[in-house]
Formats: sequence, structure tokens, C-alpha cells
Amino acid sequence: MDVQAATAVCRDAFAELASPACLHDPYPFMRWLREHDPVHRSASGLFLLSRHADILWALKATGDAFRGPAPGELARYFPRAAASLSLNLLASTLAMKNPPAHTRLRRLISRDFTMRQIDDLRPSIARIVAARLDGMAPALERGEAVDLHREFALALPMLVFAELFGMPQDDMFGLAAGIGAILEGLSPHASDPQLAAADAASARVKAYFGGLIQRKRTDPRFDIVSMLVGAHDDDADTLSDAELISMLWGMLLGGFATTAATIDHAVLAMLAYPQQRHWLQGGAVGVKAFVEEVLRCDAPAMFSSIPRIAQRDIELGGVVIPKNADVRVLIASGNRDPDAFADPDRFDPARFYGTSPGMSTDGQIMLSFGHGIHFCLGAQLARVQLAESLPRIQARFPTLALAGQPTREPSAFLRTFRALPVRLHAQVS
Amino acid sequence: MRVVVDQDLCGTSGQCVLTLPGTFRQRESDGVAEVCVATVPQALHAAVKLAASQCPVAAIRVIESDAGDDEPGSADPPPSPLEAERHAARDQRHPGGHDGTV
Repeated sequence: MDVQAATAVCRDAFAELASPACLHDPYPFMRWLREHDPVHRSASGLFLLSRHADILWALKATGDAFRGPAPGELARYFPRAAASLSLNLLASTLAMKNPPAHTRLRRLISRDFTMRQIDDLRPSIARIVAARLDGMAPALERGEAVDLHREFALALPMLVFAELFGMPQDDMFGLAAGIGAILEGLSPHASDPQLAAADAASARVKAYFGGLIQRKRTDPRFDIVSMLVGAHDDDADTLSDAELISMLWGMLLGGFATTAATIDHAVLAMLAYPQQRHWLQGGAVGVKAFVEEVLRCDAPAMFSSIPRIAQRDIELGGVVIPKNADVRVLIASGNRDPDAFADPDRFDPARFYGTSPGMSTDGQIMLSFGHGIHFCLGAQLARVQLAESLPRIQARFPTLALAGQPTREPSAFLRTFRALPVRLHAQVS
Repeated sequence: MRVVVDQDLCGTSGQCVLTLPGTFRQRESDGVAEVCVATVPQALHAAVKLAASQCPVAAIRVIESDAGDDEPGSADPPPSPLEAERHAARDQRHPGGHDGTV
């Protein structure tokens, strides 16, 4: 498809991102946006930034030039909020809070997400990875196709979360089944039926977490929910039950589908670029470089899901973004901006070799975890899951191959899969 | 050289601890970053500046001398149109970060 001809003027980038061409490959359109309409104003009034420098600036300026919507303004930015449980839950998540409330809530949860705490989870993550690969091995060795997305990419973060939250595994699998519907319902262009499906799933999640909170209150264990219940009971007026449920709901939404998508993309990169697999065999530094490059090439959350509201008129690239406008950033485009990453469509882990996580050898920031005050709380947890998975997949199944075309999830927001069928190459003897 | 973390500003991302684990650590109680060295050894000057530039909330401040308050971690202005033009004209990568830091 000729993207440039088809979109000489783009009325609504969000609608375009949901088109079949973009669902297949959104990157030509993103390049068009960067080159022709980098400060895009959509038909619905939302702004969308697509250049790396502008995105990074907007993310850094959140809490200053941009803010989250105040509770009283919810109806203005989410016209259907009053009737929607999902939008109400979203409004109380950390991602929508402004300082100082944001700072306080973030610190309550951060104590369980310090680098040291996440590192302590490594052995248990490694154990889950090994067990899932063991589980897939018999079918693969019989020559059968296995859906890597469901059996591994999605299962791993679910099992890790079940452990973090102190939940039975079956409960977690039950809750996780509704996450896709919720994420779609939160998209700026969700239809009413999509929002209704999201609300039904959110109601189940809310009821479950309500019960879990009660159980952890009477029988606290060493898990995040018990810890947050404790913080909550000491300081009732700043972390309400509703906020606690929203926080857990937000972690559930942010944590799984994104991690699963990145595991899928990492495995696809291993299969597509066998000459790059050596990065996974050379120790932690090489693995890290590979993981960061996967994150850069395919940001799972393609644009920011929360409103960043301009506190004043802001001029950017010759366009005035008026005060109170809702500004979104197209993270996946920033990661492919040639001004930040040379030859951006090439998969090249060397960009991240020997650097600190998230920064290229040129000192450029990889945007998939965001930046600024809402920087992904689970970034390191996701990185550890990827780093513990990829070398083990490579070592356990060196002849892994696609068993059919992967099925993409038809989502404009989350670049992920419904199925990723794999098999082992027949051994040539 | 000294380095300080503005603990009111710290966003608890842990990025500095990942970048320079011997220089920064996170408080157990709330994940807020703190500096664990009195002065930065010469060999780490560049790395500390890099960590400061990478902090998602610009909470890390590098103090080159005892007297100076160099490189405050304040908010950047939006990329200027002039800069955006240069940006557009460039077909190759940046030499450094957009905000002038490296």
C-alpha cells in the first residue's frame, strides 16, 4: 500500500492506526506522521506526538507542562466516564494521578519494586520459565505445533504476578482472560459494545480484588497485596479501598499483555534474525542488548493510554497545542525515529551493547517504558522476565521455527498476538 | 565532583541504580534513590553525568565543584521551532541527547 498517497492529509491518526494496513504494519504510517504531521491534531481533538524529541520532552514535562485530569474533569476527557466502571477505575490509577498524591502512592508501591526486590525474584522467575518450557517440550518433540503466545509468553507474566500478588494460579488465569477486553475498551476510539465488554471484565476484576483485599487483611502474607493492605490500614484517608483496587487493576492491565507481547516479539526476532542469536549466548550484557532492541523495535503499548493535559498553550514544531488539550505520544514511532536511532527499522542489538538499560550507545532513550513521573513501575520486572526467558528458549529449543503465520491481535493500541504457533525443525540426520 | 538526588522529585524508577549500582541505591522503605558515595571518583564522572541525563524525572544533580550548583535538574523548554527545523534537516543521528546533555 502507498501510505503517503493514501494519507496525504490524515484526519485522525488514531483511526488510521486501527486500519487493516496499520494493524499489519504501522511503521510506514508512523514515518509519514513524523515527516508530515509530527504534532497531529486528530478529528476528535486529541493531539498525537510522533517524533522522539517531542515525545521525550512531553513525558519529562508531565507533572509540569502537562497534568492528569482532575477528578471533576473526568467527564470532559472521557465523555462516557460516568457510566463506565473501567474509565472510573482508570481515573484512580497511579498513571492518572498528579503530584503530590502521585508521589505518595507511587512510593507506597515502589518499595516492592526496587531493583533489589526484583532481582530477588530472579530465581523464582527462572524456575517458572524452566517449568513452562518443560511443559511445552513433549508436544514439540512429538513434532506438534504449540502456541507459544498462550503457553509461554502470556503464562509467564501471569504466573509471576500470581506469586507477587499472593493469588492462586487458577484465579490469576481467570482474571487475565478479561484483560484484552479491558484494554480495548480504554482505547480512545472504543465502541460502546467494546466499553461494555471492558466494564463487565472490570467488574469481575474489581469483585475479585475486593475479596482478595479482605483475605489479605485477615491473613497477611509476604506479597504485594498484603503489604498494600497494611499501608492502607495505617493511613486510611489517603489510600481508599477504591484506590487500592484501582492500583491492583492498573498493575494487572499494565503488567501482562505488554510483557507477553514483548516475549512474542523477542521470539520472532530470534527466528527472523538467526545471525543475531549470538547475543543470547554471550552472557548478561549481550542478552540485555537484545532485550532492549526488541523493546525499541516493537513498543507493545504503541501510544500513551492516559491523557496528558496541557497546562498552558504550548508551541511545538510550529503548532500551538491549546491549554487543556489532551496530548498523547506515539511511543512506537519515537523508537523508530531516525533522529534518535540511525537506520531505525534495522534490528541491531549493538545499539544497546554495554549501556545502562534503556539508553543507546548514542545516549538516546528507548521510550517503551515511558519516561518522567509515570515511568513504568514494572520495567525491571519485565526486563528480568525477558532476560531469564530468551537464553533458555534458545538453549532448550535451538531448532525452534514458526509453525504457521502468527495471528495478530487487531488492536491499534497494543501491538501483540492472539497466537504464535511454533514447532521444532525436523532434525536432519 | 559530587552528585545529589532530589528526594522530593525522585520517581523511584530505579534507573540510576541500574546504571551505577555502586553510586546509587534505593531506600528499602519507599524505593527513593540515594547516593552512597561522598564524592564521585574521576573514573565515574562521565557515567554519573549519563545517569543524571537518563533519570526520568531529572532528580539527579551533578555538582562539579563544592561551590557550584551546576546542571540543575529543571524542566526543559519545549523543543523550539528552530531546533525542530534543524532536527528535520538532519538525516543522521544526534550527537547527544535532545536537551543538550549526553
